[in-house]
Amino acid sequence: MQTRVTRWSNRSHVVVARRVPVPVVATRGLARRYGYRPVLRDVSLELYAGQALLLVGPNGAGKTTLIRVLAGLLRPSAGTVERHAPAGLVGHDAMLYPVLTAAENLRFFARLYGGDCLSRVEPLLERIGLADRAHDRVATFSRGMTQRLGIARALLHAPTLLLLDEPLSGLDDKNRQLVLALLTALRDDGAALLVVSHQLEGFAGVASHMARLADTKLGPVVALDGRDPSAVFRELGA
Amino acid sequence: MVGLVRAATVIALKDLSLELRTKTAFASGLVFAVLVLAILFFSRDPTAVASRDIAPGALWVTFTFASILGLNRAFVLEHEQRAMDAILLAPIPRSAIFWGKFAGNLVFVGTIEAVSIPLFVVFYDVAVWPYLPSLLLVIALATVAFVAVGTLFSAIAVRTQYAEMMLPLLLLPFLVPPLVGGVQLTARVLDGRPLSDLGGWLRLIGGFDLAFVTLAALLFPVVLED
Repeated sequence: MQTRVTRWSNRSHVVVARRVPVPVVATRGLARRYGYRPVLRDVSLELYAGQALLLVGPNGAGKTTLIRVLAGLLRPSAGTVERHAPAGLVGHDAMLYPVLTAAENLRFFARLYGGDCLSRVEPLLERIGLADRAHDRVATFSRGMTQRLGIARALLHAPTLLLLDEPLSGLDDKNRQLVLALLTALRDDGAALLVVSHQLEGFAGVASHMARLADTKLGPVVALDGRDPSAVFRELGA
Repeated sequence: MVGLVRAATVIALKDLSLELRTKTAFASGLVFAVLVLAILFFSRDPTAVASRDIAPGALWVTFTFASILGLNRAFVLEHEQRAMDAILLAPIPRSAIFWGKFAGNLVFVGTIEAVSIPLFVVFYDVAVWPYLPSLLLVIALATVAFVAVGTLFSAIAVRTQYAEMMLPLLLLPFLVPPLVGGVQLTARVLDGRPLSDLGGWLRLIGGFDLAFVTLAALLFPVVLED
């Protein structure tokens, strides 16, 4: 778990150091408007390392907007967002270049992230089952393959915060299991996940918490404790 | 954080690699350049107007509109699958995106210009070789201003519904000063006047370069805000 060391002192000397857990991402009173139309109102949320929050809600509730604000792509209209780790984002679009090959796409983004990201390209292609298509153009990929490559792109810099907007869309059963296993492994390795999905049944083994976003407001965050997300979904009044 | 120069280089190389792969902007720019040079050449009355009298204007009309075709595509590929979002998430200075795009566009426009000049010589029977260094300096100076403001407006236009129509509408009013300077300087250079006689025009275009590049680099990160 990430920690923040807080120090304080009286006038003469430092007294003690205290370790407090720090959320990977936290929002306080977050609001976002498009023009005069409010999309998010007073959203306060904390997500810690090793947690996987499944966010549900009707279409147009503001789930994608919340993810984009948490990623840093949108500025909040009010409130604060504190992010203590770089975010990885899987969105509706794969955020890739169809003209480039799978490997070229990942190498381009790895170079932008720097560090040892380039060395992760081959293992990631292997992990998402696209090693044999590494040198094919993304334009020739199916929707599911593009989606998996988008997930690999989001994991290039080994983010400790992963934001996923409908990560299972377009995937067949086999690849759905592959992605779910990958997300479970990432959570177990200490990453914080925020997943928006309408396919609740798949996330029974992945999500640790669940919350509902509706009418621009975020409901209580409920610990799943091994319960089926579909059952909790009904409890949340959805 | 990846440095500005490195990030800009990675982005520019990616853009050039995409263009080399598709060649769509280059091919359309080149075809357009040949058409404009030919049409303007054959539209004059050869008994009344010498070809070299319209040559500087024809050259800059060709450069401008052929290049707009390429500038229009500068952000389209980023827009198609929202790849710009992934770039914005990378730990790079946002101004690196401008410099990368600017460098890629400069190479693209420079290539269109380099291919157009021999065609220009063939059509207009202009002796450019004795004045080539001066002519290249003039073209380079006007192109820098043109590409800087074109890169900025291309990023704005791609977010509108009618991006391809919007870019020329936004861009052309700003291009008038450097283009007038480019035409005037080109005419004088082709008349054999030394650069030392052209200090006023050169300083004017240099001033536009400085102003346009600085403003575009400063405003570009704001344009990327959603």
